[in-house]
Amino acid sequence: MTTTAATAATPAPRTAAGRRKVHDPMRGGPISYVLVILITLVSVFPLYYTAVMASHTNAEMAARVPPLLPNASIFDNLRKAFELAPLNLGLINSVIVASSVTLGTVAFCTLAGFAFAKLRFRGRNALLGFCVLTMMVPMQMGVVPLYILMSRAGLAGHLQAVILPTLVTAFGVFFMRQYIASAVPDDLLDAGYMDGASTLQTFWHVVVPAARPAMAVLAMLTFLTAWNDFFWPIIVLSSQNPTIQVSFQSLATGYAPQQSIVMAGTLYGTIPVLVAFAFLGKHIVGGIMQGAVKG
Amino acid sequence: MTSHALLGRPQPASAKQAKPRSRLHLPGRRSGYVYIAPFFIVFLAFSVYPWIDTAWMSLHDVRLSTYDERTWVGLGNYTDLLTNSYFWNAFFNTFTLGVISTVPQLCMALGLAHLLNYKLRGRTFFRVGMLMPFATSLAAATVIFVQLFDPDIGLINWVLTHVFQLPAVNWVDSKWPAQIAISTICTWRWVGYNALIYLAALQAIDTHLYEAASVDGASRWRQFLHVTLPGLRPTIVFTIVVSTIGAAQMFGEPLLYDPSGQPMGGSENQYQTLALLMYQQGWSNDRLGLAAATAWTMFLIIVVAVSVNLLVARKRRMLS
Amino acid sequence: MGSRPLVRSMLALAALLAGVSACTSGGQTASSKVTLEGPCGTKKDATVTVGLFGTFGFQENGMWKEYKKRCPNITIKQNQVTASGDYWTRLKTRLASGSGLDDVVAIEQGFVADVVQNHADEFVNMQTVPQAAALKKDYYGWKWKQATTPDGKSTVGLGTDIGPEAICYRSDLLDKAGMGATPEELAQKWTTWDSFIKFGKQYKAATNGKAFLDSAQSVFSTAVYQGKRAYSDEQGQPDLEHSDGVKTAWKYATQAAEAGITAKLAQFSDAWNQAFSSGKFAAIACPTWMMPYIQSQAGPAYAGKWAVAPGLPGGYSNWGGSFLGVPAAADQKAAAVALVTWLSEKDQQVKMWTSKAQGGHFPSNDKAVQDPAVADATSAYFSDAPVGQIFGGIAGKMKTLPPVGIYDTQIGTVLSTQLSNVEKRGTDPDKAYAKAMDQIQQITG
Repeated sequence: MTTTAATAATPAPRTAAGRRKVHDPMRGGPISYVLVILITLVSVFPLYYTAVMASHTNAEMAARVPPLLPNASIFDNLRKAFELAPLNLGLINSVIVASSVTLGTVAFCTLAGFAFAKLRFRGRNALLGFCVLTMMVPMQMGVVPLYILMSRAGLAGHLQAVILPTLVTAFGVFFMRQYIASAVPDDLLDAGYMDGASTLQTFWHVVVPAARPAMAVLAMLTFLTAWNDFFWPIIVLSSQNPTIQVSFQSLATGYAPQQSIVMAGTLYGTIPVLVAFAFLGKHIVGGIMQGAVKG
Repeated sequence: MTSHALLGRPQPASAKQAKPRSRLHLPGRRSGYVYIAPFFIVFLAFSVYPWIDTAWMSLHDVRLSTYDERTWVGLGNYTDLLTNSYFWNAFFNTFTLGVISTVPQLCMALGLAHLLNYKLRGRTFFRVGMLMPFATSLAAATVIFVQLFDPDIGLINWVLTHVFQLPAVNWVDSKWPAQIAISTICTWRWVGYNALIYLAALQAIDTHLYEAASVDGASRWRQFLHVTLPGLRPTIVFTIVVSTIGAAQMFGEPLLYDPSGQPMGGSENQYQTLALLMYQQGWSNDRLGLAAATAWTMFLIIVVAVSVNLLVARKRRMLS
Repeated sequence: MGSRPLVRSMLALAALLAGVSACTSGGQTASSKVTLEGPCGTKKDATVTVGLFGTFGFQENGMWKEYKKRCPNITIKQNQVTASGDYWTRLKTRLASGSGLDDVVAIEQGFVADVVQNHADEFVNMQTVPQAAALKKDYYGWKWKQATTPDGKSTVGLGTDIGPEAICYRSDLLDKAGMGATPEELAQKWTTWDSFIKFGKQYKAATNGKAFLDSAQSVFSTAVYQGKRAYSDEQGQPDLEHSDGVKTAWKYATQAAEAGITAKLAQFSDAWNQAFSSGKFAAIACPTWMMPYIQSQAGPAYAGKWAVAPGLPGGYSNWGGSFLGVPAAADQKAAAVALVTWLSEKDQQVKMWTSKAQGGHFPSNDKAVQDPAVADATSAYFSDAPVGQIFGGIAGKMKTLPPVGIYDTQIGTVLSTQLSNVEKRGTDPDKAYAKAMDQIQQITG
């Protein structure tokens, strides 16, 4: 049996295990590159096309050969978007909401995930089962009672009303539980306990470092979900104190809204996420890589 | 250790040696509750309470316009539902849409994670790139997909008719093409997400296993089958559960795909999912009680679907 | 932020633990009467929030700036939700909880009956507001009636705009088909739906099968309001069995669909938007607010290619329009009432239609329609059509309109969807109608 032609110029010599490798099996070949580049293009295209649509009027987009390049009128449309909606306030609010939700989810769900994975207490399995079950309840239905709850607490219209319901997710608990269960060896924990460490110390010094990849992924996914959430925010917030998705609601106005303005605003609302990816992506993805438990 | 053993007997990469041991000190008898308390307090208040209220609502005839005037109907909403053709239509649509969107999605995510686990130049860039669909606003992305799939002016039909000389497909009105188009949007959106989850789990697999396999002359495909897959098993189970739940609750894509902007899932309800039906009942038709009954019926259906999935996964593991 | 979020969160939890049940107050304790101090409602500084959905253009037309000049102590903040349906969901949730309501809320014609029947006591009764009540005689009677309870005692809001309809058409396409004529001649040929559909067939024959109308929906949504009754009876309850409007509208719309003279486009879809310039159809039922819509979708290149015929098959009809109401629980009730009254006055109604930026809100008040700025208005884009006269003339003919009901919007959606099945899939009209009745049953319960 040989390695595929794509992987290496020289086939791996059959030598005794444990010898220094001649070629790195983890190095990708040209086919890998082609595939990955293709997938990246497909992934990025709609975002790019948002920029194209933000540069052209409805009539221009209707042309027989639709435009494929963005142009400078995107800035003009963005200026119009700013006149219509408090986009920057929306951005700041979204940063607050998404960060709080991310911090809360990662912290609380890691704690609970650890408990479910590595601690023994009465009702553990029942509670975990309950958690997983609740993931299956469709969210949209709870909206009316939730709004009434929020308005009674005086929170309607405030960011807390958006933060609190998403501050923890059953998904997060289940995700962290699955990861910690398989990535943190019991021996490591036992060693800690034998040295007299408390569960909290063990959690902090053993579990958290080992769970970093999963925490990074959960953080990223939670942040993006919170950033793009709009069903509940539209109901409970107002354009006076909007998240970015709610502020888009002010962009399509009049009997004949211009899609270019909506798209320009949408694009502007995606920029912080892109910037965060550009600057932090390396660290986030790097964090995923470094946290790996060897052994 | 020999790589033969590894290749022959797939095992999770770590934590599998949890041999039964008699422990004098079982940690967490009390502290366990402390760890889960923050989660459960918030969760009970803002997620569980509204759901309980919803369950109560499902036993009443209630409309939002006359929210305080509820009439007790017992299980009436549920019996209505089970004899309702719209419910069964949505039920089967949810099933087919779920299958054609999750199965390719998870397979592709696995492959992508495997690819991105290789040392590639600029792999951070690619890893970030594949998350772009998830960062792109769903509304904006759907607008673009709707244009691509437009039967008259869309690029996809243009390619079909001009490049491949095939007949044009009505991606909007015909049932299966419309479902395929929607599942394409779902797949596009969630592949990167799942790939990232797999990628994180791949980090827990010892790279030496790949080296050993490679030294043994295992092809990339065999490495994937015998090192990657077994190492990812718990994560795969996790993503299957999560995707099944996600698919059962599929909502945004079919809602935005409908040119009328209504939650009816096409003019013949040809791609109306259960979540859309529930939305239509509750918000468009203002029958909250019926919608609540749909929500709880959906819950039961998902419980069954997930259990079946888990059973199948377990059975397959036992067989292999 | 400080500790406030924490305190509020604790409060939220406390509310839960105290056993908050789903029963709500609904704000009935608030009075539906109001006293105003001066023209701005209050002498103190106040911020008035206005809840709107996407189709209003108050801000774009400079109305808020103008009001600031008139009432420097009032600051207006607008809360907008793009889609009217999403807006209505949000408003209903807030009405059910009795809190979080804006000081002024917009109510679309399709939903006003629900407010009148189920929430009248949660709104300021405009009949008790002296300035507003004085406006009544200038209002079109049917418009005032739509926002008034059946017993006539309470009026939940003042009308902003109405949607008198004519036919907008592409004169260049008709010329090309050899069927060009003056707008008046065309209006003569289009007096009945039968003659209109006949004209469409001729156009189709003359152009090798091109569609004349955008959709069968164009026929349906116009004709349905030409009967004595549309979707509901006088009590605002859904009743299709006794509706002459629905029967006639369904007949003509399916006729148009089966004759193949429609472009089969879903109204307000992207493909429909693009067809205003692509020439996929030559005519469309055209409430006045459709004019700015067409202009913006087709773009300046099509100026002078579009025109308006001074008439409508089957007589006259109205499509759409809205109201502004003031919740009884509003924080700034007096200031809100003053603002709504001001917006309903002649000058503001005139400006909302004639504005270059966002015209389209045809006045719902007769005095404004008689104003020279409206009556003498022409549209350069629509081949210099005397649009003020055309639409004013149609509005003047509308003495009574069919009653509105609580499920009009939902029922209309169901029927138009089934109509599109006749149009696009060739579904048998009777089967489609039966299906529609079945779906309406799902709504009415």
